[in-house]
Amino acid sequence: MTEPQTITAQLPPIYSFPPLYTCQPNALIRQQQLDTWCELILEFAKTNKAWCMSQEGTIVTNSEQASSIPSIFVNEQIQRSAAAPFIEEIWSKMLQSEKAIRSSKSTYIILWKSLDSWSSLILQWCESSGKLNQVITLYELTEGDETLDWEFHGMDIELCEKCLLKLCDRGRATMLKDQGKVMGVKIV
Amino acid sequence: MGQKGSKIEVTKADKAVLQLKISKDDLHRYTRRTELLINNERQQLRHLLKEDPKNGKKNPRVRLILKRIHYQSHLLDQAADQLINLENMVATVEFKLIEQQFIAGLKQGNDVLTKLNKEFAGAEDLLDDVQEQIAYQEEIDQILSTSVVGGFEDELDRELQQLDQEVNGSQNLPELPSTEGLPAIQDSKQGSESVKQGEIGEEAKQEKAEEEERRTEPLLA
Repeated sequence: MTEPQTITAQLPPIYSFPPLYTCQPNALIRQQQLDTWCELILEFAKTNKAWCMSQEGTIVTNSEQASSIPSIFVNEQIQRSAAAPFIEEIWSKMLQSEKAIRSSKSTYIILWKSLDSWSSLILQWCESSGKLNQVITLYELTEGDETLDWEFHGMDIELCEKCLLKLCDRGRATMLKDQGKVMGVKIV
Repeated sequence: MGQKGSKIEVTKADKAVLQLKISKDDLHRYTRRTELLINNERQQLRHLLKEDPKNGKKNPRVRLILKRIHYQSHLLDQAADQLINLENMVATVEFKLIEQQFIAGLKQGNDVLTKLNKEFAGAEDLLDDVQEQIAYQEEIDQILSTSVVGGFEDELDRELQQLDQEVNGSQNLPELPSTEGLPAIQDSKQGSESVKQGEIGEEAKQEKAEEEERRTEPLLA
């Protein structure tokens, strides 16, 4: 497999534009550049269903198997890659524009849908499948067979928890804990 | 955490269901892992057999892998059975919870009904009382009507008389041509006077009747 090609195929042509990989000195152009990077990362995460990405731009999955897709910041095809300080800047832009949440020191949860829309989607699922007022485990929600057709299937547990907290704030849900860990939720 | 602020209460049953579901999830996870393992091993087996088509069947490693596959799939079956059991359990608990609500609803309805029925306890006395009152009312009505009817009749008579007097009197009196300047006719004058006298006599009678009425009235009240 030639993964770099798949990334370039997945993303808009701007991804193969060499100046994109160099930090632009002009402030105005740099803003534009950062915005473009944010969009590219979102697009990349969405097409690959990546919930989590590392600082280096690779996809982080829960399962043991390593992702075969290389970093988004390296474009083999045009022999360009972004420098670490610039990558740092991109991530801080992502955090600032609320398109990503820092999960741990070097991993980020990518929000190609806002937390609010994820939580409404979960609520919608509960309503349409008659799960209201019932205990649902987070595993059931993200990995269960009943959510296979839904976009949030396979969602990162941490992200799921954050979405459910949004529902809690709206007074629609209660978290159920087991051994100090959030295990389930009851949505009304 | 946010859940402290929300008003949704978590019952013991909810916790129990959670535990059940957690075990279910564990089983689910195990099933998936085992399926993956079996698939991997099958592929490995194929690979080994392809590599060494002649001695492959006798290779102890191949036999071992096949045994493992069988053992794993046996476990998988067991896991599936247990999964179904747990799912049944969860469904039963959830149904029982609904039944509980149903019973609670029934109970509440019964309470309300008994309360309402209690309010009807005095109904018999009330009805008796009402009957009595009605009877009394009828009595009064009778008394009133009998005595009032007489008086009323009298009044009618009097009114008629008055009307009669007014109508007939006004017809008789004003239409008489003036007698001034005419020679007196004795007979006709006397006749009209006697008519007048008769009227007066009737008026006196009426006054008498009124007096009688007044006398009887205090008795009625």
